Amino acid sequence: MDMIDRYAHEVGQHLPHRLRADVEAELRSLLADAVEEKARQGGVPAGRELQASVLRDFGRPQDVAARYAPGPQYLIGPRLYPAYLTAVKVMLPILAALIVAVVAAGGFLAPGEEPSLTVFVRATGRFLWSALENLGVLTLVFALVERAMRQREPADQAFDPAALPPVNDPDRVSYFGRIVALYLIALLAVAFNVFPGWVAVPVFHGSEGAAHPLLAPGFGRYLPALNVWWGLAFLLNLAVLRRGRWTRPTRWLDFGLELGLAAILLRIVTGPPAFAYDRPIKVVLGWVLGFTAVSACVMLFRLLRRQPAEPWAAA
Amino acid sequence: MVTGATQQTLRDGLSLELRRGALVLAVLLELRHEEYGYSLKRLLSQKGLEIDEGTLYPLLRRLESQGLLRSAWRVEDGRPRRYYQASAQGAKLAKELTAEWRKLADALGTVIG
Repeated sequence: MDMIDRYAHEVGQHLPHRLRADVEAELRSLLADAVEEKARQGGVPAGRELQASVLRDFGRPQDVAARYAPGPQYLIGPRLYPAYLTAVKVMLPILAALIVAVVAAGGFLAPGEEPSLTVFVRATGRFLWSALENLGVLTLVFALVERAMRQREPADQAFDPAALPPVNDPDRVSYFGRIVALYLIALLAVAFNVFPGWVAVPVFHGSEGAAHPLLAPGFGRYLPALNVWWGLAFLLNLAVLRRGRWTRPTRWLDFGLELGLAAILLRIVTGPPAFAYDRPIKVVLGWVLGFTAVSACVMLFRLLRRQPAEPWAAA
Repeated sequence: MVTGATQQTLRDGLSLELRRGALVLAVLLELRHEEYGYSLKRLLSQKGLEIDEGTLYPLLRRLESQGLLRSAWRVEDGRPRRYYQASAQGAKLAKELTAEWRKLADALGTVIG
């Protein structure tokens, strides 16, 4: 029964570890039964040929394993797939445009080098690499969201038509917007913590790798606060996505995060040097701080004057 | 335009869908008595329900994980076999599905004429 053992083992290789031994044992027993029965009916020996015939009828190991495997077999399901495709379609042209801009400004030219096929190939390689990196983070974020949303929905969740939100619903969550926010938060957290070299500007008329890092050693003192902020912002966006709509508590939490960001930015702008080009970067961050403060005021105003987050529920 | 091959594929797909619902009911009914995978397949086959083994066995596991079947390993004729039987919940569901099936068959009979 060597072929049956190999088949059962192969099916097991495509299954979660906890199911493997049990399914393999059952398959061995079932297939042995099938082979014996066919041998008896046909009056032929239960040899390799008959085993192969039974296994062919049974199907390819990965197809059989897919029927045994519990739960959905995909990373990104039909609900989020359109938003994922949109995000990819938005991301790729932006990346291409950035690379073209850098190429046009001579960013990939070594000192004294003229534009040539080599430079073009180098720029294309850089684009493909960036596209892969971004696609990886984007896919990871979408997969996490898919998993989080899947856990939220029991199959027997009742549908109440009376609870349908109104057509003009300010609290409806845009999947695309929230997921892009999650993606950007994840990207920033990974870049600042794991690949600080990504936080850099390409140096024009320099060699390909000559990108000037923007972060100075002094920036490290702000990283813990930023990490907490990114973590909380990620969790809030995930919670809002799972619920499918904004509520008053999540709006207040969002406001709190906006205030937190303003506080961190204020500390950075008024603190000791943290960047390679400290003065110009802090001017830019000062503007960001201004926008954040205005945004927080607008949020507070809306929160204080607004009707309940679910107006139809109050009706 | 639908070609002969497409028509065949379409018919096979729809026929499979039609049988799939009935299969759960047939399994729950047959498993009022304890059976192991291959004996169940043979029983169903004798009653005219030919089922692909690669579909039947994973279905047994799924019904078990849903609490509709229970199973136990036993050694018989020197071979370990997993025996399945409908749980109380599975037996109750089988009765309800049978009533549903009869209603559906009556209604469809009227539609077919």
